[in-house]
Amino acid sequence: MKKLVSVLLTLCLCLAAFGALAETTLKLGVYPEEVATDAIASHETYIEKYSAQYPDVTVERAHYKYSTDTFVPMAEAGTVPTVFESWFTEPKKLIGGQFIADITDELEARGWLSKMNPSIRTLMSDENGRVYGVPRDAYALGLMLNAELFEDAGLVDENGIPLYPKTWEELAETAKTIKDATGSAGLCLLAKDNAGGWHFSNIAWAFGATLENQDADGKWIANLNSAEAVAAMQYVKDLKWKYDVLTADPTSEDWGTGFTQLGTGAAAMYIAANDAVNMPTQQNGLAVDKLMMCGIPAGPGGQYSLMGGTPYFFAANATPDEINAALDYLVIMGKAPELTDDAIEGLRVDAKNRKENGIPNIVEFPAWSDPELVAKRQEIISEYSNVDARMFQPYFDAVATEGNLRMEEPQNAQEMYAELTKVLQAVVTDENADVQALMDTASANLQQILDEQVNK
Amino acid sequence: MQTSPIPHAGRAKAKWKRDLGSWCVMLPGLLLFAFFIWEPLLEAVRLSVYEAQGTRAIRFVGLDNYRSVIAGPDFWPSVTNTFVYLLWSLLIGFLLPMALAIGIHESVRGKGLYRTAVYLPNIVPGLATVFLWKYLFKSDAYGGLNMLLGAVGIPPQGWLSNAAIVIPMIVVTMTWKGAGSTALLYLAGLQGVSPELYEAAIIDGANVRQRVWNITLPQLYNLARTLFILQVIAVFQVLYEPLVMTNGGPNNASISMMQLVYRYAFDQYDYSRASAVSVIVAIALLTLTFIYNRVNKEKEM
Repeated sequence: MKKLVSVLLTLCLCLAAFGALAETTLKLGVYPEEVATDAIASHETYIEKYSAQYPDVTVERAHYKYSTDTFVPMAEAGTVPTVFESWFTEPKKLIGGQFIADITDELEARGWLSKMNPSIRTLMSDENGRVYGVPRDAYALGLMLNAELFEDAGLVDENGIPLYPKTWEELAETAKTIKDATGSAGLCLLAKDNAGGWHFSNIAWAFGATLENQDADGKWIANLNSAEAVAAMQYVKDLKWKYDVLTADPTSEDWGTGFTQLGTGAAAMYIAANDAVNMPTQQNGLAVDKLMMCGIPAGPGGQYSLMGGTPYFFAANATPDEINAALDYLVIMGKAPELTDDAIEGLRVDAKNRKENGIPNIVEFPAWSDPELVAKRQEIISEYSNVDARMFQPYFDAVATEGNLRMEEPQNAQEMYAELTKVLQAVVTDENADVQALMDTASANLQQILDEQVNK
Repeated sequence: MQTSPIPHAGRAKAKWKRDLGSWCVMLPGLLLFAFFIWEPLLEAVRLSVYEAQGTRAIRFVGLDNYRSVIAGPDFWPSVTNTFVYLLWSLLIGFLLPMALAIGIHESVRGKGLYRTAVYLPNIVPGLATVFLWKYLFKSDAYGGLNMLLGAVGIPPQGWLSNAAIVIPMIVVTMTWKGAGSTALLYLAGLQGVSPELYEAAIIDGANVRQRVWNITLPQLYNLARTLFILQVIAVFQVLYEPLVMTNGGPNNASISMMQLVYRYAFDQYDYSRASAVSVIVAIALLTLTFIYNRVNKEKEM
């Protein structure tokens, strides 16, 4: 009797094991959070299609919002969902810590590698060129404007389109006019965390600075204290003390509060990217037709926009089958370089959703350089258009200019931003701050980090 | 040096049997401690001398992580600041609870009311306190303090964006939250003081000041000593107040050592260096406590 039971039990276990082997489980970290009911509706449509097409894959709705205080424990415990969305700041440390899967072979087999925008691909690769992520979308920084404040200040052309600043000097003047006329800040400058340095690198480039150089021996040299970079920082200091056009306390502004200031009309201009147009509008209540975007203003050194991508990553312990299952799901979402009927439908669902929620439907920045896909996206977006194209044309014109797009500085960008942010904090809180001395210190600090981590 | 007599085997066994019940009572606590405190503690010390991927130690590197964090740009500012926090917290926060307790103790009416009142801030959750004060310190015209100043015609001030005063402002926040519960401890201590001492003093014609100085304070000495060292230990680990209120700014003016640990661990996922800074904090605290106890012992003798 005892023997029989144990045999039966073993059999059951074997069957269960086989069952588990036969089925792939896709843990969908990209599934939206509970409160986002319209996004959930979209994903339920995707899942329905997905399950019909891939019946042997079990889909698990495993919403995960990436955050730095939960990720490492989950990764160490092996409970990270198969596919999840992360931030553009994360690839280097996630790859370095071996927290995410190398998906080069899977992408190669699908022929996606060659379709990925080369700069974005670099961003998601390690030093050996292995790729670890798929871009959700790409972005390029520009300047977002609150058109209401421009109207109130009388800064509009005959068609009612805001007269946006084309140079940093013009920006200071425009900001001053708006502040004098409306009492709202002209520009929301960030100086709370690394996003401050991230934004500042655009200003520095416009003033002609290169923040990191490589010498003849291949050694990386910090260059935060060049005359150009110092001039750019001096300009920021002037925005506070000469023009006085910033929000009350830039050291309390971060990426999210910037959109609140812009969306609620407390600030008229803000450096932001095209993939965040939902932030001032849907999240902070700015009417969809009152948001304008233009390029980052030009300076004596030219005009540049920082470009990057927001990634999807895959759990380090995901099997090739699971990774493929996740990639198939991205196809259905319309986030992959494949134009299937489902993908087109996925794009349509997304565009409709945006229109209904008061989010500007504007062309995405191509993370995949596949002309057919780009054209189709354009077509669907114009189908669900909800904005005046003239409000976004200056932005698209700027980023389409040859040589305009620039990737982040290549080495230890986050540490560099941290150093720059400290200087920003000093110059906006201390009228007597010595810009040159602060930038000298920042550069020396960055050099030390580069020497320790890169030039070894 | 004290040597204990070698116990007789039979006696040891008997002792063991006698203590078994106590050990059983302690067991769950010990297990939890071992799992949640001691093991991570040892692991942190180990990680601090290893190169790691995530929390997995890869290669022994000796003191490299220590060298690297000490040479890092934010280390010395964080050390200096931590001591500045300590100094201000002792200036603002050490005597205040004692004064509150004595005040309440000496008050004739409404003791219960005062007691509750001083404790109330302590029931506000930590982060809520920080956000509340962050609002009060907001630097635009709509910040709480600036509105008050505005009413008397003073322009808005940058409370937390002024490098010279940011730490005292954060210490005010910490004191507001913490002083009440410490005051209650002193109050309990005061209740233990024999009333006869006061009666005798009153008969001798001592006034309030003399009573406080000659009876209350000496009687509180031991308690105050313990609370002093507890405060040093707590303030040395200040983290979430600067993290939320200033993010360590402006320009590192309020970054604390524990915040440096936080940055290594959660901004950079660099657990080796985070552990190295933690160990440095622990060593500093051990040293401080040791010196303090030494000095105190000498005094007692």
